[in-house]
Amino acid sequence: MKRLLHIEQIKLLNYNPFRITLSLYFIAFALGLLIYPAVDKEIPVISLSDLFRFPDVWVFLTWVTEPYNTLLALIIIMITTKEFSNHTFKTQLVFGLSRTDLLLQKLLSIVVLSFFATLLLGLTSLTLGLIYSYKLTFKIAMENTWLLGRYLMAAFSYMSFGLLIALLIKNTAMSLLTFLALRVFVDPVLFLILRKYEVKWYLPFRTTTRLTPVPDLIEIFQRKMNNTESFDETTLDIIPKGLPAWLNILMVLLYTGLAIFFSYRLMQRRRFI
Amino acid sequence: MKEILSIRGLSKSYKNIQAIQNLNLNISEGQAYGILGPNGSGKTTTLSIVTGIIRQDEGSFIWFGETPNANQRKSIGSLIETPHFYPYLNLEKNLKIICDIKGISYGDINRVLETARLEEREKSRFSTLSLGMKQRLGIAAALLGDPRVLVLDEPTNGLDPEGIAEVREVVIEQVEKGKTLILASHILSEVEKICTHVAILKKGKLLANGPVKELLAEEEIIEISCMNNELLKQKLEASNLVKEVETENGLIVVTLSEKVLPEDINAFAFSNELVIHHMLSRKQSLESQFLELVKEE
Repeated sequence: MKRLLHIEQIKLLNYNPFRITLSLYFIAFALGLLIYPAVDKEIPVISLSDLFRFPDVWVFLTWVTEPYNTLLALIIIMITTKEFSNHTFKTQLVFGLSRTDLLLQKLLSIVVLSFFATLLLGLTSLTLGLIYSYKLTFKIAMENTWLLGRYLMAAFSYMSFGLLIALLIKNTAMSLLTFLALRVFVDPVLFLILRKYEVKWYLPFRTTTRLTPVPDLIEIFQRKMNNTESFDETTLDIIPKGLPAWLNILMVLLYTGLAIFFSYRLMQRRRFI
Repeated sequence: MKEILSIRGLSKSYKNIQAIQNLNLNISEGQAYGILGPNGSGKTTTLSIVTGIIRQDEGSFIWFGETPNANQRKSIGSLIETPHFYPYLNLEKNLKIICDIKGISYGDINRVLETARLEEREKSRFSTLSLGMKQRLGIAAALLGDPRVLVLDEPTNGLDPEGIAEVREVVIEQVEKGKTLILASHILSEVEKICTHVAILKKGKLLANGPVKELLAEEEIIEISCMNNELLKQKLEASNLVKEVETENGLIVVTLSEKVLPEDINAFAFSNELVIHHMLSRKQSLESQFLELVKEE
């Protein structure tokens, strides 16, 4: 395990596209920190800084940064398809890695990136919360931190799906396009087509995006207007529509498991010439 | 002798092309085994199967008397076709990855880079190397960890004459150290210079295999001419110096018996009062023997 991780570390940390994309991810976070408060002054009555208070900050930021996961999936697609185009899967196989090792390598990268993303989100939320909250108690600050777990799961799920597509298509540009098309075009269109049916909530990307729910903005601002500092937990309806939370999580686990299973099958069967 | 690799009934086809058919081969410790055949004869397919890159359709192979697994490959140094490394990493980092895969220390990197005469390029990116250097790096990587067996597929492909000589030198050195070598090549002289044993493949079938000396025995053929060719021909036929005598375009073409030298023929003719005024060695090249062997169906 340690050995595989070290191999990935040498490969990735010296790979410019990886460094650039990861920097972009980092910059996206940092910009968010700077831009939201700046935008704040432009909008009368409501203040975005209300969203940065504990415990709402956890809900708001996991929701806002959820699309960044796409960037992480693109990284995984890039580093996996590169191994095909550089024929380096073959080299590693010849020198003594098993096909399962090759898959494990990529899964380890996914795990590390998931934790990195979650940590970044956690630190960002914590910083903003500490700056903008009027009232700080440990209990309020830690409220909703369980969303980080869901964020971790969403990141892992996205990247696993990216891995499957990379192993299936092998070509970098085609894989990136396919992933983006599914994410940006196919999923919303299918959701629209199926809008009358319950099955729409079972679409793979839909279940993943719903892991990090839309914050109930109206409720948050109303609470501000009414000046109720303490809030009623029952009004924080995190998943107002769609599948119940447990089923949603179960579906994500199922889809992620399937993605890894099929990645494994593909890895065992691919010809690495 | 300990068995290193045993191939039994191996077959593989790509769509409608039969790459190898029912291949059987045994390679023992210390042998330098050449796999000889024209392009498309199934050499690379065979080596790709035994090094785990592709899967066979039928048949099996056994390394070191065990069923194949990824761990075994760590004690086999392989170079299959052109070497592929991470183009953006320097040589040192690329070799570090191989060390990590094989589970050996990085201490060996300097040694193999020196053997491959690449020590000055240690910090260059792989993508900046010339074709010959890439090939030499492939061999350096194969030598990492001092493996028992070397599997080299056309190691001199694409090299200039100097590079070919250098690579051969490195390979011969390893064979002399007692390593087992499996070398695929379409160049007969290469196999002849490096290998002790040879298997000849054509269209995926094994045509012949055995020690190089037996299989690729050399026959010396000379053409001669004197004032009276007919007489000389008769005299030679009567002697035990030659295997075969023929007339061709007014010249006598003689296949010498073993250990008979052209000067013996000259002396023989002179003693029969025939003065040879033309003598040319036509040493039937191994290349043509090889081509003949491969031509036969």
